[in-house]
Amino acid sequence: MDSTAKTSKIGTRMMPYMAILRHDMKTLWCSRLVRLWLGATALLTLLLVGSNWSNFQDGTLIASLLFPYLVFPWFFVVVVLGVTPVSGSRTETLADGILCRPVSRFEYLLATWSARVVLVLSVYLVVIIPAIVLVILAKRPVPEDTVTVYGIVTALCVVGLVLTFLVSLGFLTGTLLRKPLLAVVVLIFVWYPIGLILSFFSLEEFSPISLNRAISTQLRHSWRETDAEAKDNANVQDADVFTDQVTNFFSVLSGVQPKPKASKPDFFEGEKFDDFSLFRVTLGYGLPTIASVILASLCFYWRDM
Amino acid sequence: MTTRSSVGEELKMDLAIRTEHLTKIYSQRLIAVNDMNLEVPRGSVFGLLGPNGAGKTTTLRLLLGLQRPTAGQAQVFGKSCGPNAVGVRSQIGYLPTNPKLPGNLRPIEYLDLLGRLSRLPGEVRKPRISALLRSVGLLGATGQRIQTFSTGMCTRLGIAASLVADPPLLLWDEPTAGLDPSARRFTLELIRELGKTKTVVVATHILSDIDQICDHLGVMHEGRMIFTGSMQDMKQRLRRHDFTLELEGAAEDVRRLSHEVANLEGIDAMVDTGQALLVRIADGRSRSRSLADILKLVDASNLSLQAIHSGQNATENAYLQLLQEDEAHGFHR
Repeated sequence: MDSTAKTSKIGTRMMPYMAILRHDMKTLWCSRLVRLWLGATALLTLLLVGSNWSNFQDGTLIASLLFPYLVFPWFFVVVVLGVTPVSGSRTETLADGILCRPVSRFEYLLATWSARVVLVLSVYLVVIIPAIVLVILAKRPVPEDTVTVYGIVTALCVVGLVLTFLVSLGFLTGTLLRKPLLAVVVLIFVWYPIGLILSFFSLEEFSPISLNRAISTQLRHSWRETDAEAKDNANVQDADVFTDQVTNFFSVLSGVQPKPKASKPDFFEGEKFDDFSLFRVTLGYGLPTIASVILASLCFYWRDM
Repeated sequence: MTTRSSVGEELKMDLAIRTEHLTKIYSQRLIAVNDMNLEVPRGSVFGLLGPNGAGKTTTLRLLLGLQRPTAGQAQVFGKSCGPNAVGVRSQIGYLPTNPKLPGNLRPIEYLDLLGRLSRLPGEVRKPRISALLRSVGLLGATGQRIQTFSTGMCTRLGIAASLVADPPLLLWDEPTAGLDPSARRFTLELIRELGKTKTVVVATHILSDIDQICDHLGVMHEGRMIFTGSMQDMKQRLRRHDFTLELEGAAEDVRRLSHEVANLEGIDAMVDTGQALLVRIADGRSRSRSLADILKLVDASNLSLQAIHSGQNATENAYLQLLQEDEAHGFHR
């Protein structure tokens, strides 16, 4: 089979997914919520850059620019965007228009989820990247900082991952509860005290405030900071700690007495969370994101339209 | 030699839709579809008739896999229905009642989206969309957003949407709901035309629509299928012979005539809407002789006869009779 035929076969197979993705992105882009959010986030970023222009070093200023995405207020917009696709009055339009066509429910769900993730990340990156470039390149009356490209990329990826997780959480809650308003209220009540909830499971490291605090340190990390052997050891150690954290989480959840706390990893400095493990944060947010999408798919599969 | 099982298989192959003990119960409270066995022959125009809440829409949604059956099963062209039965849905064109359409799109954009969902390549999709928009009379509205469309335009666009993939089976739910007389006539003509090449299932409670277009019929009542068969079978169930006499004169004279007619043997009469007399002739009694007797009485009265209607509402009477019989069966249903 020649490659053109193969490509066209894949193209035909992916056609419904791409059609829903494009349609949803277009619809979202035309919505007032997204346009207002884009305007507001650009304005806030401009204000933050302007007001801290001569006060903060590069790393601290970039971390302060990422604060609204991680902590407040943009999580609210992101969960609202995640909640809407399969709940409320939209369900009827959905059944009449799309789900009565030769499209599987998983295909539909994956396409709408992707559209929301792509849109949220686009708005975030479109605003934040020019702001970071401006902060790095401009000559400002502050001491020189050691922010690295690797640090910037990883910090942006971590915030992107948290936003993806929030969209997925909204998606799952909207699918489970069916009523968008109720889903948003539940998410606000879950996400506001998330630090408290995470500390209950000894997972404070993953709270958005801890992440934001550690981001200025992450921004100063370089790609070749440690030699290969040390890096391997760190990864093994991270994996062990992550396994402990997961075990502890399920122990607390099932009411079993958790294991006594192990000694703190090196990168913790007296509960201040001035640094984080990229590996663990990726797993800590990545796995729940995947779990949310899978659970939402299962829930949607069993639902009557 | 053909075995009995292979004949059975052949019969199944000739069915567009087949349900076995199909049951849908919502939240353990409401029985929407009750142990339904339905067979729709391939190539027929099948009317799914029933009062509001009889379970017609639920049945169509079960066939589409939008809902899951509580018990039993449904098959379309021999394939099982379900939420992920993409193969089944590719064979079906669905028109919901008063379709909810994405208001922000224009007709071409909407039909193009649906064509893509049906995996139609561009070279097939584009000309088909143009032809469909022309057929449903929406060529002049291609620049408008759907949110500006009237109910009739939405239904016409819904019709076009159900035909985008050129499916062999059409499930149309109340296709004439909210349409003006010309749009209604257009829709019925279209169903008749489509019925020549496709299997069409029309769910409705409008009897005259069924009368005009369907060759097969299923009557639903409280979730149960109480009759399935051809239109001929349905009309043969009408054991009574009915006439309506339109009269002119005093209401008191009409009432008196009604009493006189009712006194004739094997004839029942009742005043219907003031100046009309509804006459029912029992089985076994000659219609012509009965009518002659009645006309003699009319002639002797102070009333003048304006018109006689006969058999106009045969389907309606048969339908109502079926519903009454179903109600009367009580526990034995």
